[in-house]
Amino acid sequence: MGMSGSKCQPLRSISIQREPANGAKSHRLIHRISDPAFLTAEHKIVEQEIEQILHQAKSELQSVSQTAQIQALSVQYLGRKGLVTQYLRNISQLPPEQRPMAGKRANEIKMILEEALQKALLEIETRLATEDVGIDVSLPGRTVFQGTLHPITRITRQICEIFTAMGFDIAEGPEVELDHYNFESLNIPKNHPARDMQDTFYVSESIVLRTHTSPIQVRYMEKHAPPVKIIAPGKVYRCDSDITHTPMFHQVEGLVVGESISFGDLKGILTAFVHQMFDDQTSLRFRPSFFPFTEPSAEVDILCVMCRGKGCRVCKQTGWLEVLGSGMVHPAVFENVGYDTSRYSGFAFGMGIERIAMLKFGIDDIRKYYENDIRFLKQF
Amino acid sequence: MKISLNWLKSYVPIQMDVDALADALTMAGLEVEALVDRYEYLKNVVVGRVIGITSHPNSDKLRCCVVDSGKAHVAVVCGAPNVQIDCLTALALPGTQLPDGPLIEAGVIRGAGSEGMLCSEGELGLGPDHSGIMILDASLMVGDSLATALSLSDWVLEIGLTPNRSDCLSLIGIAREVAAIQGNSLSYPVIKLPQGKGDIHQMTSVSILAPGHCPRYAARILTGAGVQPSPFWLQDRLISVGIRPVNNVVDITNFVMMETGQPLHAFDFDRLAGQRIVVRTAAAGESFITIDHKSRTLTADMLMICDGEKPVAVAGVMGGCNSEIEADTQSILIESACFEPAGIRKTAKYFGLNTDASHRFERGVDPEGAVFAVDRAAALMVDICGGILVEGLIDERPIIQKRQPLVFSADAANRLLGTQIDSADMDRMLESVGFTVEPMNPDQRKVTPPSFRVDVSRPVDLVEEIARISGYDRIPTTFPVISAGSTRSTPSQSPREQILRLMTGLGFSETITYSFVHPSSCNYLRLEPGDLRMRALGVLNPLSEDQAIMRTSLIPGMLETVHRNFSMQSRNLKLFEAGNVFISNGQDALPDEIEMLCGLWTGARQEVSWHMPDTACDFYDIKGVVESLLAALHIHHARFSRDTAQSCSYLKPGYASGIQCNGQVVGHIGQMHSETLEYFNIKQAIYVFELDIRKLFAAVPNFQQAAAIPRYPAVARDITLILPKALESGQIIEMVQAMRDPIVERILLFDVFEGGHLPSDKKSLSFRLIYRSAAGTLEDEAVNTHHRGISDKLIQHFDAKLP
Repeated sequence: MGMSGSKCQPLRSISIQREPANGAKSHRLIHRISDPAFLTAEHKIVEQEIEQILHQAKSELQSVSQTAQIQALSVQYLGRKGLVTQYLRNISQLPPEQRPMAGKRANEIKMILEEALQKALLEIETRLATEDVGIDVSLPGRTVFQGTLHPITRITRQICEIFTAMGFDIAEGPEVELDHYNFESLNIPKNHPARDMQDTFYVSESIVLRTHTSPIQVRYMEKHAPPVKIIAPGKVYRCDSDITHTPMFHQVEGLVVGESISFGDLKGILTAFVHQMFDDQTSLRFRPSFFPFTEPSAEVDILCVMCRGKGCRVCKQTGWLEVLGSGMVHPAVFENVGYDTSRYSGFAFGMGIERIAMLKFGIDDIRKYYENDIRFLKQF
Repeated sequence: MKISLNWLKSYVPIQMDVDALADALTMAGLEVEALVDRYEYLKNVVVGRVIGITSHPNSDKLRCCVVDSGKAHVAVVCGAPNVQIDCLTALALPGTQLPDGPLIEAGVIRGAGSEGMLCSEGELGLGPDHSGIMILDASLMVGDSLATALSLSDWVLEIGLTPNRSDCLSLIGIAREVAAIQGNSLSYPVIKLPQGKGDIHQMTSVSILAPGHCPRYAARILTGAGVQPSPFWLQDRLISVGIRPVNNVVDITNFVMMETGQPLHAFDFDRLAGQRIVVRTAAAGESFITIDHKSRTLTADMLMICDGEKPVAVAGVMGGCNSEIEADTQSILIESACFEPAGIRKTAKYFGLNTDASHRFERGVDPEGAVFAVDRAAALMVDICGGILVEGLIDERPIIQKRQPLVFSADAANRLLGTQIDSADMDRMLESVGFTVEPMNPDQRKVTPPSFRVDVSRPVDLVEEIARISGYDRIPTTFPVISAGSTRSTPSQSPREQILRLMTGLGFSETITYSFVHPSSCNYLRLEPGDLRMRALGVLNPLSEDQAIMRTSLIPGMLETVHRNFSMQSRNLKLFEAGNVFISNGQDALPDEIEMLCGLWTGARQEVSWHMPDTACDFYDIKGVVESLLAALHIHHARFSRDTAQSCSYLKPGYASGIQCNGQVVGHIGQMHSETLEYFNIKQAIYVFELDIRKLFAAVPNFQQAAAIPRYPAVARDITLILPKALESGQIIEMVQAMRDPIVERILLFDVFEGGHLPSDKKSLSFRLIYRSAAGTLEDEAVNTHHRGISDKLIQHFDAKLP
């Protein structure tokens, strides 16, 4: 299957200066013209000699068919020890009056030969080029296989890029979390029905697998004074498993706190986000809802990206898809982290990444994300 | 919660069509999750005319009828006594699912073909009569659907209520919202209590011994009642919202609960010892049988309704067998109480119960609604069950919580919402949902929430009312004005992002596996008892044993993934995962969360190609990946050696190494141990590495100063040494590096040879040393001197031979 090495070499690279072993002919010539007596007495013969070299070279060129032969001729006549070169070198030994003429003629002949050799070389190259079928460029190259990112990672990255471009910092927090951060500090006391909204994995009475990324808000606010503008991606856990739920999934949480932050601002930021994540035609619908840590709270629906609101299986014929939970940060949450509620207001929002990825990639079963079938992974 | 549109209409006239109503409720925060045609199940039931009746060949009771369905003549076997030639009746065609009955299919009944069923109103859920088939008005059109012919139409709205809106866990609550949306008013049911006899206070008493758990307990008594099935209209109401009828007494308590949101309980008064009620917490360990006939052991903090001797109900959760209404019950005590929500929730959770009552009490019921509900139930019972009302009302109310007004600022509300709603409009909105507004000045007003809005406790709750009533869509979209600060980290620079980029560039596909694994995973990793990774954190309530502990290594999840892919015939895998492992600090402390990177390579070295023969990957492939990763992070001189392979119990001995950077082991690499693979039924060689990302990045040099490009040429000299096979080549390189010869620029190994003429315990290693000086071109003789010196030291130190 491989190719022969010689075919690969560019024809133009042939050196016409390389020195092969001297042929018998050149020896003879050197010997004769280096004899001063011979030169002075028989300068006519010398003249004939150079013409003869030209003649001989031309006739030898006639029968040349390969680049290697051209190369050999080039060395034989024009090389460092070539016939023409030798002749030129010995001109100094001619009688002074003959030297200009002989030199001029020899240089002419050198040029003639160089041209002739070059022309012959071109002819051969042209001929070879038409005969050469080349290589099979359709054969596969030596690829370096590129790996793929998990679809969840791709969407998380995209979401984070959109928000960091809007000036948000990225914050993170532990996946195994204190009940205090996961619930209490978010205005979800023990024995409150709001706890039913999230089926919780417990490690102990006081420790849970975080059910949402919201505890990151509280941890961040405890350490940073306003203004705050963060998003917090991460894994979350709920004890629920069916075609639309996996016990582990991913969320991105957002928090903006400052002076005079309004619900209108919440709408603005989320609208900008949805338009970048999907497109400008994807309209949003904010509707009242309840989260213990926000007040007022809003569910954010987007126009179904599959049917554009006409109603389909994905949006259960409603034309809308629920993708975000949001609201104005509840004063109780601010009180828990020592923020001055008379001075600061803020909003928070959260979304499930699996859901967004399902919409972006048309994935119908959430469990596919965690089966890690290579035929699935390699598509992303 | 399910509500029926027809039922709803008895409290508020509805001007919208049902789709618009559903939409309006959703936008008011009462999300309508489903809208179901209540008579959908009748779509294959038509008005049929009986045009032929013959006797059944194998039965005296059954008859074979021919029924005109409007489209065809259908053979139907019928057992009803009232079937007559020419009568119009309800014909259920195949495909009809009767409520609480069979799915109608074409079949053979005792030898005679039957392609449908003639139905009674009872069978169709349209009335109480089961005695015979429906005889329809002769003026109806044969072939019309029964629902059309009888003008049957109702919609069931399934509303996903958020936990704060306990006031909407009733028809009246929803009707109140509808009235506010439409701007019309609500008509409450009119209660006409008949004149009673006797005096309830003479007959019984209610003592609340745990007032903190029970702020109010109202009761009425009825005597001489008859327990029977409810009238059809009552059963129909309950069925329409998904409640199964029981008997007239119980049905009335459920009806009133659905109507008002106040859970009621009916006791058989004659079965109450001492004819009285005591509300107290339970004695720990006391056992009690609830009406679902389960014996339950009580704990000390549970609130119980007791009679003079014993518990008769788990307060707010479920009644007891010992006092429930039975067929012969005559005297009834109707309980209408308020219980403290958290206690009810705790008890219900403890028993794993979620009853209609506990669901409402947990979320909070209207403390002012108790008497209305008990009166409503009493009036209905007198009406429906007969009997005589005992004059008087018990209304024990140890704690009366008066709603304090909230000071509400219209400006503050507009600021928070980003709106410019007129304060007078705000007043109207609040009043429309029952709030009392008392203006203080143009901006501020005192607002008192209605008693049923137990969720409203702060001024911001009023802001939400304004927002949802005026409509979220009317809030203008703006952008936050917030001081611009530089962001602290750009995601593309985070270690995790760098890892993701590099690993995909190296040809690996990212996986994400569950953070929880099977408890035996520590065992099959063959971890030593003292290994950090034995410190696994358990989950108290895992979904399955497979997910019972938090992972302490990424390897088990990766092997699970390999196993799954192998079973799908994908046998060439290059996978990685970056994620946290969890090292327990005890169940009552947060674990250490350590971000790890795991890479795995198994199967072919490269895709099938014409360039190279197919070969399987080996240790040096995965090692090359790690070396490339380190090089990309500018971590040079990482050390790989068998000596650092301790704690790699899941790797094959002799085929494993630690990965050491600056003297710190940051990870491990090697071939998986066959015993570990056996747990996953994997026979193919698997190569893995696991790196601690934080430790790895600690080894990344901070600043990279550009070095000068060498100005003088390098000179290369080779040396081949015959060495013991067990000697690691890394030692030679480390030794040369340790010599710190200023003109040695690099040393690299370019050939390894074993076998041939070499003794079996020897190998030959060929190294190339690159010499270069920054000061000038090196002379051959000077290089030779250095090379000889280095060679001699190596030969001497390692007892090496030259070839």
